[in-house]
Amino acid sequence: MAFGVSRHSVAGIIGTLAFFGAWEALSRSGLVNNVMLPAPTTIVQSAWELLMTGELPRHLGASLLRAAIGFLGGSVLGVALGVAMAQSPLLHGTINPLVQMFRAVPSLAFVPLAIFWFGIGETSKIFLIAWGVFFPVWVNTYIGVRDVSPLLGRAAASLGARGWRNFVYVVIPGALPFIIAGLRVSLSVALVVLVAAELAGAAFGVGYLIQMSQQVFRVDQMFVGLIVLGGMGFAADLLFERAIRRLLPWYGAEQVGQRGSQIEQASGRLVTK
Amino acid sequence: MNARVEISSQTAVGEPLIACVELGHVYDSGRGRTTALGSISLTVDRGEFVCVLGPSGCGKTTLLNILAGFVVPAQGFVRVGGHAINGPSSERGVVFQDYSLFPWLTAQANVEFGLRMAGRAARERAKIAHDLLGLVGLPDAGAKYPFELSGGMKQRIAIARALAPRPSLLLMDEPFAALDAMTRSSLQAKLVEIHRQERPTILFVTHNIAEALVLASRLIVMSPNPGRIVEDIRIDLPRPRRRTAPRFNELYEHVARAIGLETAE
Repeated sequence: MAFGVSRHSVAGIIGTLAFFGAWEALSRSGLVNNVMLPAPTTIVQSAWELLMTGELPRHLGASLLRAAIGFLGGSVLGVALGVAMAQSPLLHGTINPLVQMFRAVPSLAFVPLAIFWFGIGETSKIFLIAWGVFFPVWVNTYIGVRDVSPLLGRAAASLGARGWRNFVYVVIPGALPFIIAGLRVSLSVALVVLVAAELAGAAFGVGYLIQMSQQVFRVDQMFVGLIVLGGMGFAADLLFERAIRRLLPWYGAEQVGQRGSQIEQASGRLVTK
Repeated sequence: MNARVEISSQTAVGEPLIACVELGHVYDSGRGRTTALGSISLTVDRGEFVCVLGPSGCGKTTLLNILAGFVVPAQGFVRVGGHAINGPSSERGVVFQDYSLFPWLTAQANVEFGLRMAGRAARERAKIAHDLLGLVGLPDAGAKYPFELSGGMKQRIAIARALAPRPSLLLMDEPFAALDAMTRSSLQAKLVEIHRQERPTILFVTHNIAEALVLASRLIVMSPNPGRIVEDIRIDLPRPRRRTAPRFNELYEHVARAIGLETAE
């Protein structure tokens, strides 16, 4: 696979090189202002400088830490409340209207409020990320636990599963495909909210780097920020997938399409309910 | 209903394993009531291999679900091993048509599941699972996940899983219906072999006459509207059974007539 060069991958390499070549030529030609559109080589050079001065690692570190804490907090709460609501109809009845109400508001709209409440420090950013992450995880966990296959439930019951053992060995693993789907969506949500929160006010972070670069006309550094964000999203998704494949070898191996459409159907049902 | 005159080797136990008295069930779908099961009375002794045969709608699956504890009968009562049924229990193992293996567990862990629920020690579980995997003819499949197994292999694992807690009754709901003809016939042979070795009491639901005649020591034929027993026949064909034997075909014709099929000449 790695060494088998297909026609498609050759075409992809040629296309990419042509794109960056044209960009480089355009920036150097004088047809456009090269402050507004710095050449790729200039961007690489700025990236190297930012890396060497330690500035980029510091911004990246700050962003990663926020994203990680926010993601962790939001997912733990989402899973916990999703499980609790699926297990207790009373709890579900009590707080479902509230959660649905908050879910309907785009999480980015809370940025100004969070800054007003918590300032531009870490608290507001972690809160916003956790807030954004919470909803997809909660919805999926709730559906996953509620709709655990009744057939597997019967199989488990006829093997003597009940109480906490049934919950730990059947309900939670049965809901995992849904929970994982929710976590995966949340991963990209976390990145979006992170950047929005950092753009709105921060002292460190990749979003802050982009914002600050704009104010000093360093378009090249803005591009560095964009590339770093792209790399973060890509790496997060890749690591997530690797971790899932290693920890849960059965996940996605069976009826991928079927399960996908099942999740979509389930989401549809939740909305109509 | 025919009286069963043969005396099983285990009559010392006295009471039959299953005793159903005037068992009836009605499904209420909201758009009307369907009598799934009329008034069924039935006893099954320990060690019997009972096939329940009938067309769809005859109540055979309802009967199995009642015995499994999945469905509470609307009327009548049923005792298994001298006790009233109070929900599903590992005393009554179930093998489902769609296997229903836990996809997140390896074959070995699937077989161990019932033992784990009973809080048995890891070493003991592994030993029992190992023996059962051998019994169903898959000694090397323990580390595989269900998605890595064929339909026939999955159903063998499901049988091993149901046997692991040593249930007094094994309930099988059309377990081979989804398999191709060759796999099906090899699994039928395997099941006969397991029954010969382990002597579990089996109640096997099917709509396939030949399958029932290959497997059963006793055949119960049911008929729909309302679900009721129309024949109760002891199958004394020698094993291994040949589908071409004259006696096999006589029984086939007889059963086909009983469920209202015009038999093919």
